[in-house]
Amino acid sequence: MATQPSDYTEFPPEIILKPLALIGLSGLDAVNNAVHKEIWDAFSNNRRPDRASVRFKLLNNTFEFPVVKPKRNSYEWYIPKGILKKNWIQKRVALIPAVIVIFYDMEWNDPQWNEKIIECASKVQSIRAAVEGHATRVAVVVLQNGQSPPPSEYMLGAERAQALCAACEIQSKSLFVLPHSDHLMGYIIRLENAFYDIAQNYYHHETKNIKQHRDHLNKTTHQYLFVRHQFKLGYLNELKQDLSTAHKHYMHAYTNLLETRIVDTNMHEVRTVAGYINYKLCKLLFALNLPRDAIAQLKSHIERYRSRVGSTELLFEHYAWIARQYSAFGELFDEAIRAGLPAIQSQHPGFYYQHAAQFTVKRRQAMRSVCSEALQYPPSPDPLEGIVEFYGQRPWRPGRLSADPHDPQKEQAAVLALQYNERMFNHSLMIIGFLGCAISQFKTFHSPRMRKQLVVEMANEYFYSADYGKALTLLTHMLWDYRKEKWWFLASHVLNRALQCAYLSAKIQDYIQLSVEALSNYIQVPNKDKDRIYRNIISVLNLNIPAPEPDLPVSSHSRALEAWQVAIEKEPFTIAVDMSNISSFLEVKPKFRQQKYRMDQLVEVEIYVRLIYETVLESVQAYITVSSPTETIEIPITEDGNNLISLVGKKVKRFLCQFKPNPKDNNSDLHIKNVSFVLDSDKKRKIIMNFKIGENKSDSAIHPELLHFILSPKTDYEFDCIVPLPVTTITSRECKLSIAISNACPALQGEWFPTTFTITNNETSPLYDVKIALSLLSSPDNPNPESVTELSLKEGQPQAQPIKIVVGNLGHLSTHACTFYLKTNRTVTTTVQMKVSYYIDLPEISKLECVKDFTTKITVIKPFEVSTNFVAMNFKPITKCFVEDPFIVTPQIKILSPWDLLILNTELELVDCFKHLDDDKETSCINNLVVAEKNVASDAMCIQAKYKPKDNPTRVGLYNITWKRRSNTDGHCVMSSTALSGVPIDVCPIAIKVNYPEVVELQTSVSLKCTLFGQSNTPIRLSLTVEGTDAYMFSGYKKLSVTIPPKDKLELCYNIHPLVVGNTTPPRLKATVIGDSSIQEVVKEMFDKIFPQNIFVMPKYNK
Amino acid sequence: MLASGRHQDIFVDSVYTTMAVCVAVIGKDNSPLYIGGIGNDTSTDNELSRQWLVHTALDALEERLTTTNNNTSGSNSNTTRTDMRDLYLGLLYSTDTHKIYGYVTNTRIKLVLVTSSTSPSGSNIRDAEVRTALRRLHALYADAICNPFHLPGDQITSQKFDKQVKNLMLNNV
Repeated sequence: MATQPSDYTEFPPEIILKPLALIGLSGLDAVNNAVHKEIWDAFSNNRRPDRASVRFKLLNNTFEFPVVKPKRNSYEWYIPKGILKKNWIQKRVALIPAVIVIFYDMEWNDPQWNEKIIECASKVQSIRAAVEGHATRVAVVVLQNGQSPPPSEYMLGAERAQALCAACEIQSKSLFVLPHSDHLMGYIIRLENAFYDIAQNYYHHETKNIKQHRDHLNKTTHQYLFVRHQFKLGYLNELKQDLSTAHKHYMHAYTNLLETRIVDTNMHEVRTVAGYINYKLCKLLFALNLPRDAIAQLKSHIERYRSRVGSTELLFEHYAWIARQYSAFGELFDEAIRAGLPAIQSQHPGFYYQHAAQFTVKRRQAMRSVCSEALQYPPSPDPLEGIVEFYGQRPWRPGRLSADPHDPQKEQAAVLALQYNERMFNHSLMIIGFLGCAISQFKTFHSPRMRKQLVVEMANEYFYSADYGKALTLLTHMLWDYRKEKWWFLASHVLNRALQCAYLSAKIQDYIQLSVEALSNYIQVPNKDKDRIYRNIISVLNLNIPAPEPDLPVSSHSRALEAWQVAIEKEPFTIAVDMSNISSFLEVKPKFRQQKYRMDQLVEVEIYVRLIYETVLESVQAYITVSSPTETIEIPITEDGNNLISLVGKKVKRFLCQFKPNPKDNNSDLHIKNVSFVLDSDKKRKIIMNFKIGENKSDSAIHPELLHFILSPKTDYEFDCIVPLPVTTITSRECKLSIAISNACPALQGEWFPTTFTITNNETSPLYDVKIALSLLSSPDNPNPESVTELSLKEGQPQAQPIKIVVGNLGHLSTHACTFYLKTNRTVTTTVQMKVSYYIDLPEISKLECVKDFTTKITVIKPFEVSTNFVAMNFKPITKCFVEDPFIVTPQIKILSPWDLLILNTELELVDCFKHLDDDKETSCINNLVVAEKNVASDAMCIQAKYKPKDNPTRVGLYNITWKRRSNTDGHCVMSSTALSGVPIDVCPIAIKVNYPEVVELQTSVSLKCTLFGQSNTPIRLSLTVEGTDAYMFSGYKKLSVTIPPKDKLELCYNIHPLVVGNTTPPRLKATVIGDSSIQEVVKEMFDKIFPQNIFVMPKYNK
Repeated sequence: MLASGRHQDIFVDSVYTTMAVCVAVIGKDNSPLYIGGIGNDTSTDNELSRQWLVHTALDALEERLTTTNNNTSGSNSNTTRTDMRDLYLGLLYSTDTHKIYGYVTNTRIKLVLVTSSTSPSGSNIRDAEVRTALRRLHALYADAICNPFHLPGDQITSQKFDKQVKNLMLNNV
């Protein structure tokens, strides 16, 4: 934070100081005695805010107390000579302690106790004598080593303490013992609080004394005393830390002061005192957390005294006083905020510092009007010499109360002295100081614009105090902001002042930059004299000294001229002005004519330049800077083939730049980075005006569609409507190649599908270094095609993608054919890209690289679909099988391919838990079979389960079909594998085999033999019954119990005799397991499955 | 020269019936679209202090806008409340000599009205009067930019608008 500037209005330190109760410490030898020093340090050092509000003073033996004035019994003839005595506060805070504490080393069991007690009492007596007349309290602290005495001496301590009190004539509560062993700090703090209590008591007593005087006073002669006494009461209460009572008394003092008669002679004294009391009031209000009341107090204070100007000869003193009131308040406010008071944007210390600055400006104005004749300090005797007893009194007439000056000559000399001093005073420095304080506050409280205004005011002050460099720095920063928010009027104000500064400090770079901006349409210059500014620019260009800015202080002219004479022929010779951030007299809009250029085209940039200022700029060099990823080039702007262009005021000129694109910049963007204009003279100096062209600076203010309403001169090319186009893309040139693709689409899943493409050169000249790259393109429905699809130039051998084919040269109209193979396992459309790149020599560009992408889409479908069924040996569909129980798998191959296929062979690869029934693999039932679309080829294989696995198998095995296209006679075969779905496996403890004839003749007995095999390790007992039917007679046991031995078999034989013809159901055996009922279900199922459902009975023909 | 130091002497000849001494229309990017003041004194200094006054008022305006935004979005983001948001922002701040009132349209165009606290008609002005005046100014502004030849974002140069605004400032109709 900036510090407050000082002058004679500054408050004396005793007013600003926080009043603390004064406590004198006597008998401590802090220099020679280590223990004493430690005690003194504990009292005086590290006084944190939470400790008691006291100040300690070390009293030595020679300390002298102020003499007590004789007590006045009557005020009848007493006329006060002033309001507040200057030394009163000083006495309270430094000279008259509220308490004097006498430290004395003594142990209760000291052998020389009697001598000690006498010495101590005499010390107390001598202090008493010294403070004679003051009501200062006396206390005694006995310093002891702190070792606890033996219990027998407890009583001794109490007795001796009493004796000491009596000897010293002090009350027992004024006697303290300080053991200086451990916990010193704790004892010190307790002592301190005890002293503080005594001090409060003392100050309370003092206030009573003052209050007693009141009855003796009368308002006519003692108005000053009313103020003085109330002020003292206020101050004593402050010492006592009774802030609200203090505030009450200060308020009385303030109102009493308002009632005094004010004449020119006491004006200064009254307002000085009023300022002090107001300061005290505001400070207390902030301390009492009443900031609103503090603000109101300051407002009414200023309001009351604003009109009390005093003598006009010293008008500046009035403004100086007001400024100080504000700045002091600002400081109090700031302190309160730092102590935790919240402040807001509309109420913070910044405003008060700002007011202080404003009134200091007024003070300077007043000085200018009244001090113009004070050219010399008056001859001695110095009227300002002399000591004054009261605040705010004049040294040349101290204590004078009458309204008329008693010595007009002396008075005049004094006024002259004051005026002369004021003339010499550096007001700018003070204003800058106040503004600095205000600026930091406004910055804190979210007021950037207010801050800017104050910075500009600060810059003005620097300007007045001839510190042009600082002013210029501040102004150029602020100019940026005003320009950005388009407050052109304010920007003009700032710019003109900055231009003055740049001129006066002869800073060529700034001077030119500001001058260039001053020529803008938006900027207003004094006297509307832009010609002068233009001439100045040209002067600097020609190494001539420019004409001075208007309204400059006369005194500065010669210095500026000297500075220019030094600067004009020195660096900087090249002055670069960044035009993109400033508004100026030149406007530029560069534009690529097309958004895209092919490599074989000339890139064309149109540059529209509008010169706003009415002049003719001859022989200007101009160039544009274009950048690409590989390089940045500068292209001169020409006019009729001439490198120097001319611009005419109020006209728009169009220039065209053409250049060939760099072959390396194929497929990249070109950016216009910069347009530069060089103002040159034959001399060394030149001015470069750079227009940086932003990347995405799409100026939202331009609404081309709306601009058509605006009347624009035809010659203007409708400049306002032109939207700059600073980016263009260079694309490859169009290739004149054609491609023909031949293949037998759709491709079948899994096959190596051949595609032949033929490239034809339709260019006018031969190609060389032709290369083709084959790759797969991913599409939304076919992501990552390379993971499932293979490409190759040779059938059956996959190659890494992309596949590069080097073709070499290709003559005019000649062709190149190539075949590639594609194998994919995904049945979607696959896209193959053929990227052809080559070089060609064209008339414009030689060795131009051209690239052309061709793509072809290949649809892939499944060649067939395989479904499967499971049937029992009797061709009945089954849903599960039993271990060691054979069944048949019948895969069905449905042909989907539009092309005829040749199925070479099929094969079923079984999983572990199944086996083929036939040990030697016989050839498949479908081999060398030609099939067409929609045909279904059926296969059948007999297998059986070997064991029951833990989990039912998900599939029986892989069904491999080896096939190829029928048309493809010698090509590769394709093996397609399909997983056949699984069938649940169950275990039956018995297996059954029934031998019976399929067909029998009527009335012919046949045997039905049933063999039961025990599969498990335990015998199984069954109860068998025969379920007869009407169609048969049978012989054999109808009902019997059997035991099937483990791993062995049992045969049952029946004879059956059909009675009717046709499909008949023969008698069936039903089994019930005896014992283990858990296997009942499977056994029953097995019997149901195995026993024949029907036997066909033929009629018997008699031959 | 300190601008505010002269605040007492600017707009000296503001007539006693005047309600406002200055009216400004400020765009959404905080650029001035129109600044009109009462008084025959068209000197640069006068114009300058007027512009400083309006420009610094933007600080208070922006602060007010951010806090109201936070309030509506923070506690109860009642949509109807946001819709019915009062465009009139009330007294932005006051200096020893002037009072500055603000108003923000839904398109973030800011209207600022400055009254003089030194003239009797300016210091005794009621809040409702200022509100009405700013609403009328809003209507005038809307009329002015309806002109198809006016470019949005450009300064308002319409003489009719200027005359109407001056009337508004003078008569408090």
